[in-house]
Amino acid sequence: MIEVTDIRKRYRRRDVLSGVTFAADKGQITCLIGLNGAGKSTILKAIMGLTPIAGGSIRIDGQAPGPKLYEKVAFVPDRLTMPSGMKLIEAHRFMADFYAGWNGERAGELMRFFGLSYSDRIGSLSKGTAAKFNLLLGLSQDSDYILMDEPFAGIDLFSREAITEVFTSELIEGRGVLFTTHEIGEMEHLIDRAVLLQGGKVERAFDCDEMRGAEGKSVIDVMREVYRA
Amino acid sequence: MNTGDEWKEVPFNSRDPVYLQVVRHFKERIATGRLSAGQVVPSRRELGALMKINPNTVQKAYKEMEEQRLIMTEGNSPSKVTSDAEVLSRIRAELLGEAVQAFVASVRKIDVPIDELLQLVKRKYEEAPEHD
Repeated sequence: MIEVTDIRKRYRRRDVLSGVTFAADKGQITCLIGLNGAGKSTILKAIMGLTPIAGGSIRIDGQAPGPKLYEKVAFVPDRLTMPSGMKLIEAHRFMADFYAGWNGERAGELMRFFGLSYSDRIGSLSKGTAAKFNLLLGLSQDSDYILMDEPFAGIDLFSREAITEVFTSELIEGRGVLFTTHEIGEMEHLIDRAVLLQGGKVERAFDCDEMRGAEGKSVIDVMREVYRA
Repeated sequence: MNTGDEWKEVPFNSRDPVYLQVVRHFKERIATGRLSAGQVVPSRRELGALMKINPNTVQKAYKEMEEQRLIMTEGNSPSKVTSDAEVLSRIRAELLGEAVQAFVASVRKIDVPIDELLQLVKRKYEEAPEHD
């Protein structure tokens, strides 16, 4: 379980996170929802130790984040971070060198599934294709958790559909998935838990099916209550 | 067999628990004979991919269906639709009851004498083209 407890961060004299607390379980898809600028990306970066926090704690399976974290938690940032002159095949080798948990076989399957070509260069990929490759780099690590920052932002419908399919497959079975989004769209039926951020805090956190069963509300309904109030 | 297109394009609404919508879909299939007693149902993995839902939701739906004795799973063999006549007739009664309930609720607003209504239902039912 990834447990985030009361984390705080100030940036440019503004409280970005003012005591965020939530948990993301293994074997579940948790969606961190917030409008632009709500601090969603900052939370993922904080979990990965990529940005300092002013207070609070982060525990992964009960442990404070350390060097071993990077084998346990895969991170898919909001844009592809590989050098643009690199060919996809070289990016595969790069990942294999850096990550003990790199699963070359799965990476190959995903190349076929997404229809990607090894000889293409990172810099020449379209937005949708780059998003797919970015996701591939995360999914091909044998990690217990995978964090994704806005995997659906700014890409075409068919790329979105291909990426959505990943969420229904054995690729994520048993893993803990935590991803951020500012719109829920076609993910409504795919996520287990929703965590709604507002004003640097968690406004609501709930099991989506329980919410539907107990209150007859969809995730969008709850979002409307929180963000249009 | 029973894998393929027929499981796709099942419309989910956003306000009922997804796993219960899956269970309901199975019940409809069983009641209408599109899934027959003893028939093997898709594996959890197959169903997740076909219906575009996550592995957890599929797992919850199968667990619920096992508890309601809609499907049976023995050891490592694939799950099958129950052959228990009692369960099958219970499903039929349940779906029928719900449909009639919804019908009565919407017709009641119109304030129609029961005899007139029953005659109308009878006529419509008999003239309706046969499905399947």
